[in-house]
Amino acid sequence: MKNIKNTIFEVVFAVLPVTIFIIILQILLRLPIQVVTQFLVGVVLVTIGLIFFLLGVHLGLLQVGEATGAALPKMGKVWVVVLFAFLIGFVVTLAEPDLRVLATQVDMVSAGAISKNLLISTVSLGVAIFVGLAMLRVILGVPLKYILFASYGLVFILALFTPTEFLAVSLDAGGVTTGPMAVPFIIALGVGVASVLGGRSASADGFGFVALGSVGPILAVLLLGVIYG
Amino acid sequence: MKEIQVFTGFSHVLLEVAIALIPLAIIFLFLQIWLLKFPKQRVLNIIKGLILTFIGLSFFLQGVYVGFLPVGEVIGRTLGGLYYNWVLIPIGFILGFVAAFAEPAVRVLNYEVEKASGGFIPQQLMLYTISLGVAISVALSMGRILFGFPLWFIVIPGYLIAFAMAHYSTPSFVAIAFDSGGVATGPMTVTFILTMALGVASVIEGRNPLTEGFGMIALVALSPILSVLLVGLLYNKKGKENERNLTDM
Repeated sequence: MKNIKNTIFEVVFAVLPVTIFIIILQILLRLPIQVVTQFLVGVVLVTIGLIFFLLGVHLGLLQVGEATGAALPKMGKVWVVVLFAFLIGFVVTLAEPDLRVLATQVDMVSAGAISKNLLISTVSLGVAIFVGLAMLRVILGVPLKYILFASYGLVFILALFTPTEFLAVSLDAGGVTTGPMAVPFIIALGVGVASVLGGRSASADGFGFVALGSVGPILAVLLLGVIYG
Repeated sequence: MKEIQVFTGFSHVLLEVAIALIPLAIIFLFLQIWLLKFPKQRVLNIIKGLILTFIGLSFFLQGVYVGFLPVGEVIGRTLGGLYYNWVLIPIGFILGFVAAFAEPAVRVLNYEVEKASGGFIPQQLMLYTISLGVAISVALSMGRILFGFPLWFIVIPGYLIAFAMAHYSTPSFVAIAFDSGGVATGPMTVTFILTMALGVASVIEGRNPLTEGFGMIALVALSPILSVLLVGLLYNKKGKENERNLTDM
């Protein structure tokens, strides 16, 4: 019960201040009352939705993430562990709310040229590959810094060859994958793995999953651009 | 926008969410059979969790589709069409600050940073640093739409500074910083503030919403990274100075 109360408070507190500011803005701009009402309908639906969503994620998926993270390394075979990290990264990103919203906007703005499903699958694939890589990094004990340097280096190189339309979208895609679905799940997975592998500091090795998970989609969308262009 | 829409097109949304969640359910089934072998009660809880997630995601997306996307665009177009459309920059600043300040994930990060620094970095300091960072990011994005300079002018120096600072930071700070990119993009940023920006970009002449409208999330994601690294470095320096003072004595 306490969990439910906290979640409600958290969501309302995150939504309310921006909502109030937007309503004031709408009044100052003298927008018709229908617009303001339609906005409020959106606010109510989004708030209810987020509360249910977060409760659902905490009730079920986080446990799966943590238990999987702790159980995976015991399977012994490195490729199995990496494969599962890949699959989990993929399916979790498919369900990421912010990514769906961003993909809808890109679809609309590009008049369907970059379709919603294409963008969502590309981004999910990017996250999947990099969550797999992040797992491999923890197993092999490679410092996060090197992989981050290399990945962002690659981002800047690919950026030279991709049409400008894809640049901003790719960087935004990197931001939305770190949402309320992927972050808790992937962190739980990482902490689980790091705690089982032992000997390594849980914070420096356990984290870094999310960081790599957000470079993946940037590279994936840039590559999509290179192929399209 | 004549009639108020609440559940228009909801069946499409339900279908979309079902397709989005099915792969997750299948993977869980695999994990359960081969690896996890949870007892019945826990499996039931996870199924309940999945159902709640389904309901939640459907309502969330419905709200965004009928409420935030159309209204955000109207507001964006109206603001962009104003003679004094420079007001977008202060409006962006306030929106960014308010959104980050209210975001629960930012508070979680601040707690983590306080812990990692052994209590040296107070949560309040981080909260204001990040909120200010996000405020500047959103204001810059609005400025970018009005004046049309490329995203790279901000992103390249931003990341170069981040990497330079990462070089001098401790590994746990680097990990926390780069993981924190997503924390400031709360529930209102992508759904509403970005839609507004796209609306603005669509009415300002010579702007392509695809190149100038997007990019805001990238900048918002950059600011907590820079904030954590910066505050971390300052703290580190202070820590070392303290040590030096002690050895000097």
